[in-house]
Amino acid sequence: MLVELKRYKSMKLLINLNNCIACKACEIACEKEHNGISFITVIETDNTALPITCRHCEKAPCLENCPTKAIYKDKNGTILINQNKCIGCYMCYIACPYGIPVIDIKQSVAFKCDLCQKRINQGLEPICVAVCPTQTLVFDDPIRFAIYKKQNAVKNLIRGAKDEIRFSV
Amino acid sequence: MKKILSICPYCGLGCRFFIKVENNNILGIELYKNGINKGKLCPKGITAIDFIKNKNRLSHPLKLVNNKHLNISWETALKEISNSLLDIKNRYGANSIAFLSSARCSNEENYILQKIARLLGTNNIDHCARLCHSSTIAGLSQTLGAAAQTGSFNDILESNLLFICGYNPAETHPVIMQYIIKAKQQGTKIIVVDPRKTKTSWFADIYLNINPGSDIFLINSIINIIIKNKLYNKNFIYKRTVGFNKLINSTKDYDLDTAEKITGISKDILYKTAITFATAKKAIIMWAMGITQHTTGTNNVIALCNLGLICGYVGKKGCGIFPMRGQNNVQGACDMGALPNVFPGYLKINDDNSKKIEKFWDSNNISSKPGLTIQEILDAISKDKIKALYVMGENPVVSDPDTSHVIKVLKKLELLVVQDIFLTSTARLAHYVLPAAVYAEKEGSFTTSERRVQWNFKAIDPPKEAKPDWEILTLLGKELNLKQINYSSVEDITNEISQLIPNYRGITPERLKEEINGIKWPCPSINHKGTDILHQTKFATPSGKAHFIPVHFKSPKEEIDEEFPFILTTVRIVGHYHTMTMTGKSKSITKRWKEPFAEINPTDANKLNISNNDKIKIITKRGSYICKVKITNNIKPKMIALPWHWGANILTNRLLDPTSKIPAFKINACRIEKV
Repeated sequence: MLVELKRYKSMKLLINLNNCIACKACEIACEKEHNGISFITVIETDNTALPITCRHCEKAPCLENCPTKAIYKDKNGTILINQNKCIGCYMCYIACPYGIPVIDIKQSVAFKCDLCQKRINQGLEPICVAVCPTQTLVFDDPIRFAIYKKQNAVKNLIRGAKDEIRFSV
Repeated sequence: MKKILSICPYCGLGCRFFIKVENNNILGIELYKNGINKGKLCPKGITAIDFIKNKNRLSHPLKLVNNKHLNISWETALKEISNSLLDIKNRYGANSIAFLSSARCSNEENYILQKIARLLGTNNIDHCARLCHSSTIAGLSQTLGAAAQTGSFNDILESNLLFICGYNPAETHPVIMQYIIKAKQQGTKIIVVDPRKTKTSWFADIYLNINPGSDIFLINSIINIIIKNKLYNKNFIYKRTVGFNKLINSTKDYDLDTAEKITGISKDILYKTAITFATAKKAIIMWAMGITQHTTGTNNVIALCNLGLICGYVGKKGCGIFPMRGQNNVQGACDMGALPNVFPGYLKINDDNSKKIEKFWDSNNISSKPGLTIQEILDAISKDKIKALYVMGENPVVSDPDTSHVIKVLKKLELLVVQDIFLTSTARLAHYVLPAAVYAEKEGSFTTSERRVQWNFKAIDPPKEAKPDWEILTLLGKELNLKQINYSSVEDITNEISQLIPNYRGITPERLKEEINGIKWPCPSINHKGTDILHQTKFATPSGKAHFIPVHFKSPKEEIDEEFPFILTTVRIVGHYHTMTMTGKSKSITKRWKEPFAEINPTDANKLNISNNDKIKIITKRGSYICKVKITNNIKPKMIALPWHWGANILTNRLLDPTSKIPAFKINACRIEKV
């Protein structure tokens, strides 16, 4: 799906809960896109799984706690790190409620999900979204996504009610 | 930079992606949105280019001299191999030679290898479909008349119910999960039958935690409930099938009480399953190794066909009988006749048909006697009846049951030739090793699980002296003085296939290169656009009707006793592919999936005083295997599940399904010791 660039400002990396099968395609795709470091991690617990990556928070604790202002929000609302300013102090990683930023030991600076800036500039969605075989990861306008979720919830309610009738006969 | 459209070399879905190339170097993969995968890939697909430039790729023909493999020239290798083959044929007869073809090679390559075997006068040709879906082929041929998935992946989206039995797509076909999840969101019910609570079962509306090996009891009792409640499709049964009365008689004793005892599923759930299935209006039955790899494999498949047929779930949209194929060209290798009992196009081997083939190939040497299957070939070697084995792109040492036996047997051969991309465990034993090209280094057609034939384009050149398999075989054919093996391009072979096999008649190289998303067989003429759904008006049996065949429950042959009280079942994991020849070379894969974990139930772990990550030794009558443990309720007590990629076949048995000769990988008696 080509991202409509003028809409990109309102697009967020969202997650469909309950779809993930822990295949880790997103991790590998991310690692290949970002020189061998994956910024997304799939966590599998008892009979569920979920990929976790930067949420690009509206009020980002990493940004607020960065002592050198290496972390900034760009015009589209994406939280990015300027590695030239980073001192590798781990503060972003400590402040992040999800423990997302990684400090690359070799370069002594922090890295994290940049929503695939290279791809976004070409009008492509982030690679983890593009590759995910279960549509767990989606790149969408949260308002549009919410409508879709509501519609699905209603459909499921109606279907459930119909099943009740079918099996009670 | 060029972008070449490729086909994923792993499973049978036929996912496509671009390979980005510059100056014969691979730059990376780019997603392709118009294939069946809709741009999606699994971890194996994204890393499908990682092994290509591996430094251990075979790049010279090798000869075993004093237990060492030395480089030799192609001329010498082919001359010595063909001399040796002809000499063995002269001394012991044509049936002293056997060939293993490959579900990983193209249609053309499979076609040409079986042609060489048959021109030499033997039908001893088989391939690893024997180990995965040979029972499917045997079962479907008898019931529906065609050994293939009856519908298309798109039917999943049109279906009201998916009956997923002994099949774990979340692990083995992740990309098909987008169809299954979308269907579920649209309201499709999902029933999963599996003795393990697999990742696929996370999506189930009804999950049947069945006792291993009790499939036929389960299915027959569901059929019995459907018949008793008169929920079968009368019209369909009357018009399109034969043998329904026999089915009624054979299933009437499969009562709910006994079913509960034998399958381990409560009566309520059995009843609910049967009613849900029968009232779905449109349903698809999907299965894989959990059904096929049993001593009752063929009958398991027949039972599932019976179940689909009584409700009329065949031959229309949103319905189907779907064997899910595990290799990029296992459907094609079977279609091409890389099987010992059929010629290309599933033409049964008999006097009439061998005359037909003789005429088509201009030969007088075609045997009308069926050849041997993989396990029978190994047996024949151990009895000194087979002296030469030619293996193309297979690794029986790791993939076949009872590894120690396989190695012992292969060492007896006078001539073992292996054509492969890496020095596999099998190639290590070979007298000659011939370096082959990988998928991205050659052209040809591949047939997916849904019968879709797609053209694979060449992206880069093979390393040094490696050659595409079809080229190696053409050279070998010349050396063997087979005038019928005379091809100057791979397209020549594609054309010959389309002339011989009626289902491929309209599938020409020109069309495949033009119609990039492929053509689904049957495609009987050049103007035909291919077939989405089989059996729409008549079945492929001689009578045109589907056959109900009564089958009965039998306990698994391998006995569980006091010495070996656990059932060992072998499984696959999402990151690795079969014998790991390719996935094992990707760092992205190996760092995530480093080693095998045996799954064991907490009750058993407590008794044996085993904790997570402890090392255990699994022991069967065949051998022993050490690995780490994962304790989980997803596996039943007294059961142990073990991924086989790392060589677990050292443990498995050689008991076969009598019809299809598939080994029973899924049930092995074992015991466990803490290390």
